[in-house]
Amino acid sequence: MNDGAFVALLAASVVAGVPIALAALGELLAERSGVLNLGVEGMMLIGAVVAFQVGNSSGSLWLSLVVGALAGGALALVHAVLTVTLRASQIVSGLSLTIFGTGLATFVGKSIEGLPLATDFRAVAWGPLADLPVVGPVLFEQDPIVYATVVLAVAITWYLRRTRAGLSLRSVGESPATADSMGIAVARLRYLHVVIGGVLAGAAGAYLVLGQVPSWSQDGTTSGLGWIALALVVFASWEPMRVLLGAFLFGFSRQLNFYLQAKGVDVPAELLSMLPYLLTIAVLVVWGSRDLRRRVGAPAALGLPYVRDER
Amino acid sequence: MRLRLERRLEQRWWHTVIAPVGAVLAALVVGAVFLAIEGFSPVTVYRELFKASFTSAFGITDSLAIATPLVVTGLAAAVAFRMNLFNIGAEGQLYAGAIGGAWAGLALGPHLPGPLAVAAVLAASVVGGLVWALPVAVFKAWFGTSEIITSLMLTFVALYLMRFLIFGSKSYWRDPAATNFPQGRKIAEAAELPPFGTYRTGWGLVVVIVVAVAVWALIRFTSAGFDMNVVGTSPEAARYAGISTARVVLMGLLLSGALGGLAGGIEVAGRAHALDPNGLELGLGFAGIVVAALARYNSFAILLVAAFLGGLRNAGVALQTLPGERVPVEVSLMLQGAILLFAIGAEIFVRHRLRLVRSGIGPAAGVAT
Repeated sequence: MNDGAFVALLAASVVAGVPIALAALGELLAERSGVLNLGVEGMMLIGAVVAFQVGNSSGSLWLSLVVGALAGGALALVHAVLTVTLRASQIVSGLSLTIFGTGLATFVGKSIEGLPLATDFRAVAWGPLADLPVVGPVLFEQDPIVYATVVLAVAITWYLRRTRAGLSLRSVGESPATADSMGIAVARLRYLHVVIGGVLAGAAGAYLVLGQVPSWSQDGTTSGLGWIALALVVFASWEPMRVLLGAFLFGFSRQLNFYLQAKGVDVPAELLSMLPYLLTIAVLVVWGSRDLRRRVGAPAALGLPYVRDER
Repeated sequence: MRLRLERRLEQRWWHTVIAPVGAVLAALVVGAVFLAIEGFSPVTVYRELFKASFTSAFGITDSLAIATPLVVTGLAAAVAFRMNLFNIGAEGQLYAGAIGGAWAGLALGPHLPGPLAVAAVLAASVVGGLVWALPVAVFKAWFGTSEIITSLMLTFVALYLMRFLIFGSKSYWRDPAATNFPQGRKIAEAAELPPFGTYRTGWGLVVVIVVAVAVWALIRFTSAGFDMNVVGTSPEAARYAGISTARVVLMGLLLSGALGGLAGGIEVAGRAHALDPNGLELGLGFAGIVVAALARYNSFAILLVAAFLGGLRNAGVALQTLPGERVPVEVSLMLQGAILLFAIGAEIFVRHRLRLVRSGIGPAAGVAT
């Protein structure tokens, strides 16, 4: 357990979990407001390609992150208009968002495919803490976005449980009609959280190119992470801290691939790549069943458009 | 003053036509903006796009060749979506169908006469699709597990399984002669769906038209189709009528999966002639969702929409070979997404209209927010 490769595996799992966690936390906020957004993958791709372009021309990490996040938010705004105002099916709209986002990102990213990015997020060592065995490299020598993600998960927990705005949000997701009669602006809250969800998905995509692999490729950059983030929200029963934990677990299962190869364990890469997806199904079947779901806290109005006057 | 949405008092037939047509036009405008930003001339690209796919006999038949699998994946999405069952895993069911179909083409193809060999490939592909949809259907019907997530996760599993069979192992499907660039073993010639003369489209097109009519008839005329309609439009009514929701859900998802698998068989027998990951990973399953939504889940409209999207995709390929302007093939994917987004946005205007109203008047102020 104490060999260097295993510690490196753990440290890499944390980094691999961050984009999943960011995207899933964003989706969690949208879903808590009652809007399912299947466009996570598309928003992440747009965030990644835009961040790469900005990073390439400006060289500024933080600017790239912010612009990439905003691009994700802009795409989410389309989803909000379609589902909240125009009452389109959330599922069809989200899927189209992914199709559009994938197409646009690949089209825009054609000219930069395979190019390296000169700048990326560097790990910050916490002085002597980073020298501790195992926990040092895993917990105290990561890049700033890793810590920001943990803080964000804590902040969202606090927001949902302890603030008045969080209470309003939850009521909109559970029973928009009741929330409306209490004077809560249902549509405005849904718009806001769908867009914030998109901003976080965009940031997750941006982090993929700014913090993990500093290049862009349509297949390789997200490789289905957006879909895993969606599954993770259910897996975590709409709780931010469980999302964080689950994300690191998924990050671990993705990194295990490289670790086993380095150890010379002869398991075909394709079969190992199936693991996270099979794991998600297994967890959903146990966790996401109809009777359990009521207990684990799926927002009751998830997926339903809200119209005040027409029945 | 503010805009508000209200129900149309009378609905005219052209409302249902003008919405998708307007969506296509709006998407072309948005596409033009992005093309211009990337330094391409939208007029040239669109003209060439149209010329490549819809003017010559070869262009049209090439478009129909791409439309062929889209019809079946479109039907796969439509039968499930109209029941509010969101099987978005036709992509994976297509891969599973291709694995099954290629097996039949390799193992049974050499021993059977032409039509029977083709039938064996198609039947095996349906079985492949069924196997892949079975967990989705069972978990949904018995445990209420979200079919969206399970069908999607299984898509990735099928993708990696297919890659494993060709790239990661010396499986039955892999061509033993190809060592440097692994590829699938060619199926028996008898098991191929023959093309029409020298054109790229062929008997697969006939098969999918028959399937489209059969699916329409199944939903329209059989009691199983009736049950599926009732469960789709009103689960409450279905419960009162004594229809077993679990059974109908199981049936709907399995039918959807079988169609997704059939698309894989048609690709193997009609075009790829082997289990070929590079030739099969085209997103045909996901595009089927676009087809179904644009066609509003109607079997005959699916034929038309598939032909249109087939043309768009074919044009994307044709644009690559355009001298001077090298337009990336992805422009057609972007356009598809844009068309879909506009189409679902326009959907509401079939039954609703926008009206400018003075704020504060009437009980429904604020509805448009």
